[in-house]
Amino acid sequence: MDTEDHRLLEAFRRGEESAFSALVIKYREGVYRIARRMLGNHEDAADVTQEVFIRVHRALVRFDGRSQLYTWLYRITVNLCLDARSRNSRYPMLHDDELLSERAAGPGSEGEAEGRETHRLVARSVAALPPRQRAMVALRVYQDLPYQEIARIMGCSEGTVKATMFAALRKLRRALEEEGVRAP
Amino acid sequence: MTLQCEDVLDRLVEGVTGSVPPGDRAAVVAHLATCPRCRGEAAAVENTAARLREAGRFVTPPGFWPDFMRQLDARLEAEPQRVLIRFRRWLASPRHALGTAAVTVLASLAIFMAVRFAPPRPMPPDPVDTQVRGLVTETMTITLPSLGDILETWRAGLSQEVDQVPGRTGP
Repeated sequence: MDTEDHRLLEAFRRGEESAFSALVIKYREGVYRIARRMLGNHEDAADVTQEVFIRVHRALVRFDGRSQLYTWLYRITVNLCLDARSRNSRYPMLHDDELLSERAAGPGSEGEAEGRETHRLVARSVAALPPRQRAMVALRVYQDLPYQEIARIMGCSEGTVKATMFAALRKLRRALEEEGVRAP
Repeated sequence: MTLQCEDVLDRLVEGVTGSVPPGDRAAVVAHLATCPRCRGEAAAVENTAARLREAGRFVTPPGFWPDFMRQLDARLEAEPQRVLIRFRRWLASPRHALGTAAVTVLASLAIFMAVRFAPPRPMPPDPVDTQVRGLVTETMTITLPSLGDILETWRAGLSQEVDQVPGRTGP
């Protein structure tokens, strides 16, 4: 386990609540990014991020330290997102309109408008991936995690992660080609 | 597509979405130099990964994280088993765990010793024995050496009488 995480974990076990706050500050952005990429909107991602840290607070004392702390944290995040997705599967996933409107807020040029449109199409293509594929893309592309850690988080083999990533990239490539997105 | 091509594409995906060890990267580059098909595939995979990365930056609403921390603190405060969690945390701390184990061993040892080596408690007086002793005088004890046998006989007889008294379940 990361030395800093180990130190914070020990401090938390001694009863220092500030150590838990430090862990939250360290990992909240990563948890939020995965949740937002998997759920597609800010509100759900914020709710899941809260829930992740509540559960971590309850269970952190039993964390054995055999894996990285972030592997455990991200596994909780992915599982909560998959649960949330299956609960809300009747409703179509949002395409991060907030993100797009934030980007649209600046002074617009033709190039920026095209960029926004590309982001929208990429977000839509990612949203169309099956949930587990989307989770793997988020962990690999946006969190830069090695295949081995992704396999631990997703509870599958490294080979499965590789095959899934390959399939996901193919699917995204086809979707972007169909939408007419050009190379950057 | 050869087996080598498939292997290279696997590594390529790994490379463009994250990082690959330098040795593997050299092997991929060497293969791409000789395989136009994989070069085309590599360009497409890189393009897709670049698009994904570009679209991956999220902006949270202003003031979101301070609000988030406040809400999280409030929720943690409201946790019903907070005291229990703190106690378990305290116990789970290695330093405290050692102390707790030592205290537990000492307490167990003390309880064991107290039970094992405590002086025997005085037995309550036997009602039949008391009844018989009331009938025996000192003179009788001195003059009759076989009084012990006689007492046993009396005692057995009186036990039977006591058994027959209604409401008594035993001697």
